[in-house]
Amino acid sequence: MTDLVKESSTQILAREMALTEQSVERRRRIVGLEPDDLARIAGIREVVLAQVDHFASVFFDYLSGIEEGRVLTNNRALTERARELKRSHLIAMVGGDYGRAYAEQRLELAVLYGRVGLELRVFIAAFHRLLRSIGEAVMKSTPQAPLEAFASFMALKKIAFFDIGVIVDAVVFERERVIRQQQDAIRELSTPVLQVRARLLLLPIIGVIDTHRARLITDSLLKAIRANRAKVVVMDVTGVATIDSKVANHLMQTVTAAKLMGASVIVTGLSAEVAQSLVALGIDLTTLNTIGDLQGGMDEAERALGYRVVSMDPRRDGAPLSPG
Amino acid sequence: MPVPVLKQGSVLIASIQAALSDRDLVELRDDLADRVGRHRSRGVVIDVTALDVLDSFATRTIRSIAYTAKLRGAETVVVGIQPEVAFAMVQLGLSLDGIETALDLEEGMALLQAREAERVG
Repeated sequence: MTDLVKESSTQILAREMALTEQSVERRRRIVGLEPDDLARIAGIREVVLAQVDHFASVFFDYLSGIEEGRVLTNNRALTERARELKRSHLIAMVGGDYGRAYAEQRLELAVLYGRVGLELRVFIAAFHRLLRSIGEAVMKSTPQAPLEAFASFMALKKIAFFDIGVIVDAVVFERERVIRQQQDAIRELSTPVLQVRARLLLLPIIGVIDTHRARLITDSLLKAIRANRAKVVVMDVTGVATIDSKVANHLMQTVTAAKLMGASVIVTGLSAEVAQSLVALGIDLTTLNTIGDLQGGMDEAERALGYRVVSMDPRRDGAPLSPG
Repeated sequence: MPVPVLKQGSVLIASIQAALSDRDLVELRDDLADRVGRHRSRGVVIDVTALDVLDSFATRTIRSIAYTAKLRGAETVVVGIQPEVAFAMVQLGLSLDGIETALDLEEGMALLQAREAERVG
């Protein structure tokens, strides 16, 4: 049962990573695997197969020998599974078939490393140890022809780098999954349009603005302008981390659309960094009515609507509620 | 269908009732240009509430109505642009730069009155 689930999760990962026949073919080309190499690998096949257990032990002994490797080796059950996978990996490395199925098998180990939090640099170091011991065995097997042995080992090394490529990509992909999920969550955040006073709306924007979300924001703002008969809108972008030309364009469109419906827009909360990057990018927002912070924007909006906020505190009689 | 133009004090109200052909728009433009002078109007309100589309020709004509009226001494306000229309115009890059807009007829009249008060007072 668990095997079935594991199998399918590897397949899902392969699909998400777009690990197709074509992309695997591309990966083979990137490491420079040629038909010659396949013949050479076949030549050293017996040497590797004879000592599979020894090579696997080199890998795991290295891991258990260093602090960073113990996240895996301290977990007996997972280590057993990893050892098993590593053995079949070594057998497959000299198997001669390096298609999609081969790449997919590498994913399971990658997922396992990712789950225990094995650092990639530690994995690569251990894998290097393993390759070195294979290299030694290959060299010893044909002492009379060292150049031939070296060429065969280099052919196998291409497969090894192919494997590292797949595993590194898979671990990074898994790690970035969290980031992708969070980005989706931010994108899905709703954007409320709040009525602060009669005819005054507040539109706080938080998170990432893309075309889809910009459309939703504009849409809900325009509907709210009509429903509340708003004349002034304060759009606060404090929560927008970065504004590039695309985002600026979206904001401009929202402002222009609101203007067509007879509402003027005050943009607030452009941070110093954002303002500087807009200037550096040469994006002209001078047609927008911008005010430093939300408080200033609300003051301005209230003034435009004819409100005057007065403190009820006698000590500050008649003074505006806001300082300055 | 020609657009009815109503006179309310010093303001002319052009209330568009149905989708307009290009010809209707040109007629509206000529009609308003003529009446602004005849009635010595100080304001023009173009009500587009009934329209669910404003294409580039309509936008251009409205702009030229506004500029013509301005030259003859009247301020133009476009009122009642629907949310969908506003969004589509922005997407198409159509703008009504330099022309006042208001939510509806009531708002538009209030805006013209405020302008008039500014000018007098």
